Amino acid sequence: MTTPSSAANAILLVGHPNVGKSVLFHRLTGAYVNVSNYPGTTVEVTRASARFDREAMLLDTPGVLALPSRSDDERATMRALLNESSRCLVQVGDAKNLRRTLTLTALLAELGVPMVLALNMHDEAAARGVMVDIPALSEELGIPVLATVATGGEGIGELTHGLGHATRAEALLRYDQDIEADIARMAEAITRLAPHPQLAARGLAILYLGGDSVVADWLAEHAGQQLAELETLRQAAAERAEGDLPALLARERTEAADALASSVIQRAVRSSPLLSQRLGQYVVHPLWGVPILLGVLYAVYQFVGVFGASVLVGLMEKDLFEGILNPAFTNLVSVALGTGWLQELLVGQYGLWTMGMTYALALILPIVTTFFFAFGVLEDSGYLPRLTVIANRLFALIGLNGRAVLPMVLGLGCVTMATLTTRILHSRRERLITIFLLALAIPCSAQLGVVLGMLGGVSFTAVLIWALAMVGILLLAGFLAAKLIPGRRIPLVTELPPMRLPIIANVLKKTGGRLKWYLIEVIPLFLLGTFIMFALDKSGALPAIIDAGEPLVSGWLGLPKEASAAFVMGFLRRDFGATGLFAMAHSLDPIQAVVGMITITLFIPCFASLMMMVKEQGSKVALGMVAVIVPFAFFIGGLFNLVLRALWS
Amino acid sequence: MNTKHEARLPLAFIPPGTDVRLAALGDEIDPLQREQLTAYGLAENRPLRVLQQRPMTVILADEVELALEHAVARHIWVEKLPSAG
Repeated sequence: MTTPSSAANAILLVGHPNVGKSVLFHRLTGAYVNVSNYPGTTVEVTRASARFDREAMLLDTPGVLALPSRSDDERATMRALLNESSRCLVQVGDAKNLRRTLTLTALLAELGVPMVLALNMHDEAAARGVMVDIPALSEELGIPVLATVATGGEGIGELTHGLGHATRAEALLRYDQDIEADIARMAEAITRLAPHPQLAARGLAILYLGGDSVVADWLAEHAGQQLAELETLRQAAAERAEGDLPALLARERTEAADALASSVIQRAVRSSPLLSQRLGQYVVHPLWGVPILLGVLYAVYQFVGVFGASVLVGLMEKDLFEGILNPAFTNLVSVALGTGWLQELLVGQYGLWTMGMTYALALILPIVTTFFFAFGVLEDSGYLPRLTVIANRLFALIGLNGRAVLPMVLGLGCVTMATLTTRILHSRRERLITIFLLALAIPCSAQLGVVLGMLGGVSFTAVLIWALAMVGILLLAGFLAAKLIPGRRIPLVTELPPMRLPIIANVLKKTGGRLKWYLIEVIPLFLLGTFIMFALDKSGALPAIIDAGEPLVSGWLGLPKEASAAFVMGFLRRDFGATGLFAMAHSLDPIQAVVGMITITLFIPCFASLMMMVKEQGSKVALGMVAVIVPFAFFIGGLFNLVLRALWS
Repeated sequence: MNTKHEARLPLAFIPPGTDVRLAALGDEIDPLQREQLTAYGLAENRPLRVLQQRPMTVILADEVELALEHAVARHIWVEKLPSAG
């Protein structure tokens, strides 16, 4: 959430996606942000006090591919630039791609805010034979320029020292004479009609002429009735320009950045590509890409599905909880409270400890921990962006491009988190389709673990039917959604960051941060869910619901009528519902187990992700999705019941 | 009279391992995507190396690898650079 900082104490980290802003933020503040080796991880501005100066507030902004802002990420960053009382900017750039870094510097320099340039990943640049003459660059820009390796903590001391010497950067270029005249006219009008307390009118003029919608909104708010004058000036400038004005401005900045970069870069001749580059090419290779993907999936399955969901869950549930903790806690409560409703509330059938905490800690925690660790290793290695290349063709079938694979894979960990991450997608249509598919057919790791645990105990065929059903429904629903939702598919253009050996300390930090986020969300909901179940049971409503649900649950789905209780639980969390079915696994035949798991997987997403859907898409769209998903889940479940019984009887 | 006869070819047609120079971004590319490409550093005269063409076009521009769908690479016009040696 963005709450503007006061008294010019904000230090904004700004830069392209995937240049290490969030790692640097962690180094400078000690605070955790979701950091990944793929572009677009930071989807909101994050703030924390600086380690080196408790008065200073550091802000980590989403990566900007370019300014003027076009995407949600860029708009969020532009809003931070406009609304924060900035002490200075830290532009974080990729040392091995200085041209691109300086293209952004050319615009930031015009904002007139003191700044520092941190050239990050200079170890990777050096490995590729790219040497930047840092003193010369610092002299040309007139600001401190520091070489850093945020992941290894190199250059952080120099950077904090450099912050004390932040100054306004020298302009990198004078635009074409006619454009300069338009910029000057616009800057004069902005100074007169809507002066910004910190940002230079010239910078705002360039952004406004470049078509930045956030700057346009800010000017509209502050110029009031006088906005028409600014609009007239912009219109006139656009008509005078020999071509598209935003494109001309961008091209001139690129040329200036090119010229400066050429003068400060030295390139050593390299005889062969680096191992990391060759590895990166193998994983998207037309022949080797898919076998490598299958190998990766198998390794993740072994780690999460076998080690997490079987070995660790066995140790936690059977040995620790059922063997030691639950009997001890039940004894303690019985001695302290005797027998009565309070004792039942804590350690009974629907007890807060015996059901809520046991589900959350013994069944779910080992699975999500192993999943988030595996996901952290994959994202830190740089594999995930390459997955977008391999998945692109498949996703084209459902009107998306390969970029949507990232929220989908993250959704296998936590659908709520993944719903937030859909902001990395470029169009509203892509986000809408992806959120719908996440809500419908992507099971989170907790639910996945329960499904694999339950159906794995039935047979491999049962797991296969469930998996094929999910993939088939995902593709079918995606195909239909892509046909029904207006708009066109955007072809994929993506950066492939270097493959790196994952740094285990970073992976552990990320896993810890995500687990904290997950547990804060999951434990209260599990306890609330258990309490509701307890209250429904005690009030006699649960048997009534079970009876009322019988025609649907028993008649159509072919499940025992008690399974209604699991669907009631599923309204809170799908995995809670799935765990409810898991608990009655002994009384289900193989078809009932498959049908139950298909239905509960398709069932509405958990309460937290429903709230996230409302936040991202508005209540009307979110409720519309629920209105489609719930009947669809029961319809498909019943259909599988009929088909499987017809085939197997 | 210009004696050079450098054909402009779509990036999607260039074999892997070839060094090229970017000549122009075609008008068929969506304006927003064109801005995105410019921001990635795909400007006129910029040297590029084609790394692969399947399943997508992958290029190296200034030590940065970019993957482009053929629908985009088909409309990026390039000129082959004379091979070294």
